[in-house]
Amino acid sequence: MQINSPSSEIETQADNVRRATIDKSVKGPVLFLFLNAAFWLMASTILGVLAAVKLFSPSFLGDCAFITFGRLQPAHLNALVYGWGIQAGLGVMLWIMARRSGQELRNGRSILYVAGVFWNIAVTLGLVSILTGGNTSMQWLEMPSWIWPILLLSFLVYAWPMVIMFGKAFRPEGFMVSTWYILGACFWFPWIYLTANVCLNCLPSLGALAAGINAWFVHGLILLFFAPVAIGSAYYFIPKITGKPIASADLSKLGFWSLAFLAGWTGMQVYMGGPLPAWMPSIGAFTGTLLLLPVGVVGLNHHLTTLGKHDMVATSPTLRFTFLGSLFFPVTGVILALLSNYSTGVTLQFTHASYGFQIVSVYGFFSMCVFGAIYYIVPRLTGCEWLSVRLIRNHFWFSTYGIAAIVVTSLVAGIQQGGDLNNPEMWDQDFMQLSMNARPYMIARALAWGLITWSNIWFLIHLVLMVAGLGRRSSAPTLLHSSHDDTPHAAHA
Amino acid sequence: MSNFRTFILGLITSFGLPWLLLIVIPVINYQELSFLPYDKDRDGVEGYYPPATVHGQGQLIYIREGCVQCHTQMIRPTQLALDGWKKGWGQDQEPRPVAPVRSNTLRDYFGEKYAPLGLVRSGPDLANYGWRAPDRSVIHQMLYAPQSLHDWSNMPAYKHLYKVRKQQGPNSQSAIMVANREDAQQEIVPTAEAEALVDYLLSLKKDYLVPGTAVATNASAKK
Repeated sequence: MQINSPSSEIETQADNVRRATIDKSVKGPVLFLFLNAAFWLMASTILGVLAAVKLFSPSFLGDCAFITFGRLQPAHLNALVYGWGIQAGLGVMLWIMARRSGQELRNGRSILYVAGVFWNIAVTLGLVSILTGGNTSMQWLEMPSWIWPILLLSFLVYAWPMVIMFGKAFRPEGFMVSTWYILGACFWFPWIYLTANVCLNCLPSLGALAAGINAWFVHGLILLFFAPVAIGSAYYFIPKITGKPIASADLSKLGFWSLAFLAGWTGMQVYMGGPLPAWMPSIGAFTGTLLLLPVGVVGLNHHLTTLGKHDMVATSPTLRFTFLGSLFFPVTGVILALLSNYSTGVTLQFTHASYGFQIVSVYGFFSMCVFGAIYYIVPRLTGCEWLSVRLIRNHFWFSTYGIAAIVVTSLVAGIQQGGDLNNPEMWDQDFMQLSMNARPYMIARALAWGLITWSNIWFLIHLVLMVAGLGRRSSAPTLLHSSHDDTPHAAHA
Repeated sequence: MSNFRTFILGLITSFGLPWLLLIVIPVINYQELSFLPYDKDRDGVEGYYPPATVHGQGQLIYIREGCVQCHTQMIRPTQLALDGWKKGWGQDQEPRPVAPVRSNTLRDYFGEKYAPLGLVRSGPDLANYGWRAPDRSVIHQMLYAPQSLHDWSNMPAYKHLYKVRKQQGPNSQSAIMVANREDAQQEIVPTAEAEALVDYLLSLKKDYLVPGTAVATNASAKK
């Protein structure tokens, strides 16, 4: 930051003090969430490797009941969604909301800890139940039915202070798109989660409609929780690091409201051609494709904001992860459109492509943005800098290649599988050809999760060291390019 | 957005609309769903549609084991996919059926708390498995050691649903034969859960005649 006059220097210092106070007020809960989330991410990726291996070698590690694919796969995804995704998301949301609205977290820190502990205990018990026979087979709601009230309450405990902060700092003229998204996530998640759980766990019997509601829930969680948190984080960090304002306020608004209006309709297209009344999957297909609009608008806005500052993508770990995450958003949108419309959708329906969509949205898009946020937030909370450029770089490249491999192989496997299912030549064949054809892709998926596990080991160790306060004692941030190491970085100064 | 209240109102409207129309109203309407009577003159059968529901106890095992991860229970209409023409996927087990298997309706899953429509079709669709199911003991063998039937199968073995015990006296009535059994002195006996799961699989018949559609089916059958 260029300092011209003594008065502005004082202002800057006052500003820094204010920021430090806000950071200090949320430090405990945010670090607690990040650290636990990172452990769950580790667990999820290891389960991901195992589940992928089980797809081509079902008797790997024996025919033990706990590790059959039908139980492993939900455990893997629930750990990813509830253990890592929502937990890390809450951490990022809390910090950004506090910073962006300029509000300290005044009281209630202990109840946040309690909620965090309950969240983690509930997820642990839920996963153990899935593996030991409590699996409900409702996608992303596989945990037994007594878990969800705990998770919902814990979430609300975190959402409440954020809503208060937002309300206090809401200025009609000062337009804050990142907090819009984060408030939206605070608001949509409980609504979706409560609706889905009441319908699926409390109502007596909904038959095929329950399956439709389940699909709606999964899409709602992706589009109205994971996407807003990641977009909000990108809207906060891209301008922050590049030092440029968000390119267009109108595009931001358009992107936000079109997502808000469209996303709630999607989901049931998963069962296109199924028993649901035809308009339900049809409207899902329509909005699923139309979501290309907010996706394109947000992508364009991020692109325009980053334009001309691409050298910073190479140096700043935060911007690099956020940039890649934002790049995965259009990819997510295109894959969703491919899965949703009736011409390509029927080929990809009931294939591995749906897994590819879940991974690209939760891992490629959401998690990469959250990693970016974590690389920015943690040094400010712990007071020390990231230890090693190499670890960050490893984390970035192994994750990138791993996710890209999973998404590409899942999609290609989906096309292959869908083609085999709809191949007239195979009308009287058993599933031999199909399972043989899918095998190489599943081996690739296992290897890709292996790469990601490798990257996460280092991320976890790095994070643990940072939280333990063993980071680098330095005023210069850890940047990725050694040649630029001594040039001071405007945004990080 | 002029103020906080308008913003919140915008959020509520934008999401409340699909929530109400796509979830709440259909859920309320679903409660009205009931059995449909067959008309003897029109349909040629008596009773109610669907004539039978699935074996509920076994479905709990199906759900617990996460079978939905690889098996669907949904036949898509022929204008979308070839499910209906797959050999043996419907009631008509002829090698060359005259009509495709019909796609499913909401009532086919009547009475199920949660219809396991499935996520990925890594294994065959099971919507109408009951019609094509082999002998009980073969299904047990399929569950106990899938690779003993098809060496290419990537289905997990559900060994925990079976008990291996020392043979006492003559063969137990319920014991299943598995081709590659190591020790002739041992017998493999299905637990109650395995029996329930097989009962469930045998009860999967989701292409019963829909009232009012019999004429079309008969006409095409006579061709």
